[in-house]
Amino acid sequence: MTASGSQEPRNRARPAPAAPAAPPGTDLAGQIALVARGEATAFDAVFEQIGPSVFGVVKRVIRDPAQSEEVTQEVMLEVWRSASKFDAGRGSAAAWVMTLAHRRAVDRVRSVQKEAERERRVAVAEIPFDEVIEAVESSLERERVRRCLGSLTEVQRESVTLAYYRGYTYGQVASLLGVPTGTVKTRMRDALIRMRDCLGVPE
Amino acid sequence: MKLTKRSQIRDAHTLAGAYAMDAVSAPDRERFERHLAECEECAQEVASLRETTAMLGTAAAEPVPAGLKERIVAAAAVTRQQPPADETEPVPLAHGTRARARIWFGSLAWPGRLTLVTAGAAAAAVLAVAVVFGVANSSMQQQIDQAQASSQQIAVVLTAQDAHMTTGTVAGGGTATIVMSGSRHALVFTAQGLHALPASRGYELWLIGPAGTRPAGMLPAGSQGMTGPVIASGLRPGDHLALTAEPADGSAHPDTPMMLDMVL
Repeated sequence: MTASGSQEPRNRARPAPAAPAAPPGTDLAGQIALVARGEATAFDAVFEQIGPSVFGVVKRVIRDPAQSEEVTQEVMLEVWRSASKFDAGRGSAAAWVMTLAHRRAVDRVRSVQKEAERERRVAVAEIPFDEVIEAVESSLERERVRRCLGSLTEVQRESVTLAYYRGYTYGQVASLLGVPTGTVKTRMRDALIRMRDCLGVPE
Repeated sequence: MKLTKRSQIRDAHTLAGAYAMDAVSAPDRERFERHLAECEECAQEVASLRETTAMLGTAAAEPVPAGLKERIVAAAAVTRQQPPADETEPVPLAHGTRARARIWFGSLAWPGRLTLVTAGAAAAAVLAVAVVFGVANSSMQQQIDQAQASSQQIAVVLTAQDAHMTTGTVAGGGTATIVMSGSRHALVFTAQGLHALPASRGYELWLIGPAGTRPAGMLPAGSQGMTGPVIASGLRPGDHLALTAEPADGSAHPDTPMMLDMVL
């Protein structure tokens, strides 16, 4: 991420865990500050930069393309609406948008689909690691994420992919993998810490 | 089983990973967020794990379907933005209610619902709409008053319980987005990417239906590719919305081919 200088909306209360993989020459945080002032062209630029990521992660979780478009729209309008609430002191702009996106996608599947039906479908589904990776193109960041996912133990990787890319709760992951919930919670945290260190995200 | 305070805290710490992946139930989420508010170290950890999950997310990026960006940008044009925190005043709204109205946009293009929160305070909404769409750029008070009156009408449509959003493609270029309310007999029209017309001509909206063909207003000149919003009232059941290019001072009947025909 490049420095955004005077466009930062607030003073940094503490060091931001900057996203090291943001493409050079782009400044999502600066664009979001402009969106907060109602600039439609900045919103367009924000969409160009992060829209495919939002759509991609939403679709991973929801699967249905039409619903994924709908949720992508909700997420991006949320970005438009609450751009003034983005605080660069608390994290990167990409993490802010992607957190909105993932949470909304997860909320959608949990409210729409009956848990029992979901679990039945999960039970016959393949563990999605390969499928997550299959569409991977040769972008550097994808390659790094792929490599770091590959450095996890198999159970850690399963816990992360089922939770993040499928949108399951740790309780659902526990029942799917047949391990105690406490174990799954620990694995998820260990796995993300390992991913964080592997990807070079500051603590 | 009764947990000691220490093990409860340890338990909360452990949840950071699941929480950062939204892999927690609603009650767990709530409990953990209470804990986060009191534990700076946990908040730091969650922030760094969120950066990590964001990268998992961007690794799943894929091309956005055609037209989605245009629909979203058009929808943003009719969506009020939240004001930033006011550093001097704890209660920033000038007058009126602080309640927030929820409006639901259903749509033909993508069935389902989308929640937009708009301001409850009409004054704030009017100003924001005016500022967002650049209608307050002029220093002339009269123009501002006019814009505010129109913005107020727009806010009424946007906050109607039955507000619906529809998009359409304009022949010859551009996308139209309308939000209509049957109960208010009105719709709000915006367009993006309309071709600029010579000064002697302008875009005119029409309502066409069993009640006849009625002119529904001239569109103002676009700014940065965006046109409107304008309000068209007098909506009747069975109406279509049409758009034509007419002489700049408008026509009583559409004289040129329809560039847009939307079933309402």
